[in-house]
Amino acid sequence: MPISNPLTRYTPVAQLLHWVIAALIVTQFALAWTADDLPLGLHKLVLLARHKSIGMTVLMLAVIRVVWRFTNRPPDLPPDMTRIERLLARATHIAFYVLLFAMPLTGWMMSSAKNYSVSWFGLFTWPNLIGQNEASFAFLKSTHDYLSDVLLAIAILHILAALKHHFWNRDDVLIRMLPFRKSPRGP
Amino acid sequence: MRRAVWIAMLCIGGAPLAAGAAGPAAYGADPAASHLDFTGVQAGAAFKGTFHKFTAAIDFAPDALATAKFDVQIDLNSLDTMDKDRDKTMRGPDIFDVARFPTAHYVAKTFTKTATGYSATGALTLRGVTKDVPIEFRFVPGSAGAQLDGTAQLKRLDFGVGQGDWKSTEWIADVVKVSFSLSLKPRA
Repeated sequence: MPISNPLTRYTPVAQLLHWVIAALIVTQFALAWTADDLPLGLHKLVLLARHKSIGMTVLMLAVIRVVWRFTNRPPDLPPDMTRIERLLARATHIAFYVLLFAMPLTGWMMSSAKNYSVSWFGLFTWPNLIGQNEASFAFLKSTHDYLSDVLLAIAILHILAALKHHFWNRDDVLIRMLPFRKSPRGP
Repeated sequence: MRRAVWIAMLCIGGAPLAAGAAGPAAYGADPAASHLDFTGVQAGAAFKGTFHKFTAAIDFAPDALATAKFDVQIDLNSLDTMDKDRDKTMRGPDIFDVARFPTAHYVAKTFTKTATGYSATGALTLRGVTKDVPIEFRFVPGSAGAQLDGTAQLKRLDFGVGQGDWKSTEWIADVVKVSFSLSLKPRA
């Protein structure tokens, strides 16, 4: 007997990618906010080096996730959702996918523009995407900052929506992304 | 008697010529066509920097290694890593401390021929510390001067380049690679 029904739950791989990426993004915000308050020095350099390594990890996982998303159909949304709700859910999910690429790529380009090549945990160095340029750096930094605000806003919306589905609508929208609940709620 | 005079004349006349042939030619580096670069490793990623201002007095001839001499003065304030924030930090008291030690000085007097070119050992004075640093180079004479290209490696902490937190070799590698390409012109 299968533990999960593929039509009502996300696949274990999709769940794993969702939660690992979510944890890494929380770490990214913590590192970025801590580093922002520090003066230029070794401590800031170390935090930003970790931020970059994790960011490149998110980028690699994003590639896997998109491939997985297009080759594994996600469970359908509950039938009682309105058109507006479906539209909003879909727009939020598309925005997440766009940001999963846009955040690391603008960060990587920022580093290239400032002539700080990106190392992956000291194991290897990624090539520079663009040449050193102060104006490009300033533009990319403000873009990266702005996108991080958008990401934070839709993440809050996403979490509130998941909680609303779970506690208000009492459907299985949240449960189907949880690995440990054995059976989804009935309709 | 006439033969003795001839020999004497040859000796007197030939002496300066012989000295000229055996002694090194005196060159200076053309600033517009010469480079002095370094590569450090920061958080696992290499970064390149250059010193825009330096002078090099190069006395060198392949057949007169015993009397060859390099004397290089580097204006540390002219460092450029293509990032103003990093440059400012590196000029500061914890790295080069250019306010107290504005120049680095390199003097080499010991030269040997190698399979691919030459090597030399010279004394580098950096941040008030003097230590031997070997260099490897190739010397190619040209029509109006010569081309001198070479490399060196040094440990920054030998010279105290990196105080406090910057002593960490986990995040900033100790070994710094240096490369130079000097377009040599006859020195006035």
